[in-house]
Amino acid sequence: MRAYAEGLVLAGLAIVALWGAWQVPAASPGDTWAGIVPFAAALALLVLSIFLLLGATPQPVDAPEESDNAATFGIVGLFLIALLYQQSFRWFGYVLPTAITAPVVLYLFGVRNWIGLTVSVVLCPLVFHVIFFELLGVFPPYGEVFDLLDWIKG
Amino acid sequence: MEIFPALLSVLTDPTLLFAIVLAAAVGMIVGATPGLTASAAIAMLLPITFYMPPLFALAFLYVIGKSGRYGGSIAAILFNTPGTAASAATQIDGYPLARSGKAGKAMKVATISSIIGDLMGDILLVVGVGFIAAIALKLGPPETFAIYFAAFVVIGSVIGKSIVKGLASALLGILIAMVGLDPISSEERYTFGSFDLSNGVGLVPLMIGVFVLGEVFAQMEERRKAKGDIEENESSESGNSLSWEEYKPCLPHAFRGGFIGAGIGVLPGLGSAIAAFISYGEGKRRAKNPEKWGKGALEGVAAPEAANNAVSGPSMAPLLTLGIPGSTIGAILLGVFLIHGIQVGPTLFLTDKELVYQLFACGMLGIIAYGVIGYFGATQVARLILKIPTNVLYPMIFLTAFVAAYSARGSMFDVTVMTVAGFGGWLMRKYDFNIAACVISFVLAKGAEETFRQSLLMSESGPLVFVERPIALAFLILGLAAMAFRIRGILKERRIAQGGLGDA
Repeated sequence: MRAYAEGLVLAGLAIVALWGAWQVPAASPGDTWAGIVPFAAALALLVLSIFLLLGATPQPVDAPEESDNAATFGIVGLFLIALLYQQSFRWFGYVLPTAITAPVVLYLFGVRNWIGLTVSVVLCPLVFHVIFFELLGVFPPYGEVFDLLDWIKG
Repeated sequence: MEIFPALLSVLTDPTLLFAIVLAAAVGMIVGATPGLTASAAIAMLLPITFYMPPLFALAFLYVIGKSGRYGGSIAAILFNTPGTAASAATQIDGYPLARSGKAGKAMKVATISSIIGDLMGDILLVVGVGFIAAIALKLGPPETFAIYFAAFVVIGSVIGKSIVKGLASALLGILIAMVGLDPISSEERYTFGSFDLSNGVGLVPLMIGVFVLGEVFAQMEERRKAKGDIEENESSESGNSLSWEEYKPCLPHAFRGGFIGAGIGVLPGLGSAIAAFISYGEGKRRAKNPEKWGKGALEGVAAPEAANNAVSGPSMAPLLTLGIPGSTIGAILLGVFLIHGIQVGPTLFLTDKELVYQLFACGMLGIIAYGVIGYFGATQVARLILKIPTNVLYPMIFLTAFVAAYSARGSMFDVTVMTVAGFGGWLMRKYDFNIAACVISFVLAKGAEETFRQSLLMSESGPLVFVERPIALAFLILGLAAMAFRIRGILKERRIAQGGLGDA
């Protein structure tokens, strides 16, 4: 069952890639088509996905263990936090999202010490800000809605 | 002979020496921490090195890579958990030695053998790289493309459990690299009207995503599934010291492992893990005491350790001479070269020869640095690792990944790429796809495409140009032969497995 799913996902990706390569305009005279390599790679991927589907044998589906499900939910949750965290840079700059995300991720990884979690709210944005935006001189992302750094700096 | 002035110039630069020692210590700690790889550390530190001079940046990351390979043996011996895939073979004899109170002895054998293997690899690199570069200068686009093709096939088919998934991973890497403007005609490819995508997918966010964030996801999964604790090893004074009489039988295995590792290192994609297992198998076959191997033989630690470290130097040869990275660390180092405006390839030995040999000198000094730290301090490093609270470490790595991805170009799009790549990397790992093949192919794709299209333009016979030129044909056959051998090997393993089941 898993091999079928993998084969189908790969085939889907290959078809999207083939369609994408097909959108590349034709080459001008004396030049090579810019879509030749993406097209060839996508076609090869489609062939491999067919191999994967042909090689898949129907097997009874084992019920996933409870720990497997919990782990997968944990990862998906962390990924959603990651997506929200990176998007919130655009809205609120670096400091505020990091102050909120740091204790959340620490909690997810099993830290239950409330003092530690509280300290992380201040320490994590401070340390990362100092290292990357002060010492290395990188220009911090600007929060379009509200930027705590601007507010702190007055 | 360029290496001697290079060594002198590095030795007289205290800042560089400090960076080498620091990198050796960092690499060892990272390599010894189960779940944390040298590739992840290098990817994470990559944006910081933008602000360093090229030699400083390259030497720092190169030595972390070397020391990280060695550091993996500490976790393999002490915790029965290889810090890196390359040290899995060391675990076979290393952990039984640790359980019998000889952890210190095993780690000293691992240290000495790593130094022997790594130095052999570096010496062979210094001697041979000039010749390879001279030959590479004479290759035309068809030959270079054939080498790329062989690299894709070897990387895709030799590493990992499944050839189909390995090749699919390599193709995914190629397709990701195709996103953006075509470098020749400036036509848009896979941009779907997005301005951000027209700049392409950056190497740095992709690396940080796959190796750093992907690792955090994987660690979270491990933690949710983990059951049981690590057993404490016994330790005695006699188990920590190593005499010459004890190491003497290990010496031939270390030298053989060094040659095996160096030979495998030159071939792109094969990597340290394969070298270590081949060396272990070969060592056991030739050993006077094969019955002891697997139960705690010091020679069983020496053979794989020498081999996996010997890969490090020679794996730089295809990278520096052809621009083809042989490993994930090589792929990241290629990024550092490009970021600092240094074009990697045969002309590197004409334009930046001094830098290249200084980098080799830094590598050699890095070996000595991790050797000294490891010989006298591996046990302390292990104690330090046991004290690192992983429930704090991985959240910090998680946060670092975002700020590091942003710092590379000050681009929020890069942070999004990193996040998606992290999840994609975790998915690939979970479903046994080959991340190394994907990343290396991503790095190789642009060069391969350029040489492929140049070949077609210069040829009157179309794609037949690759068959008409003997060197190009030889490399095409080499790639296909590697795949055929791998298929044969898999079929043989299946037959043995079926036979075994039939006998049962």
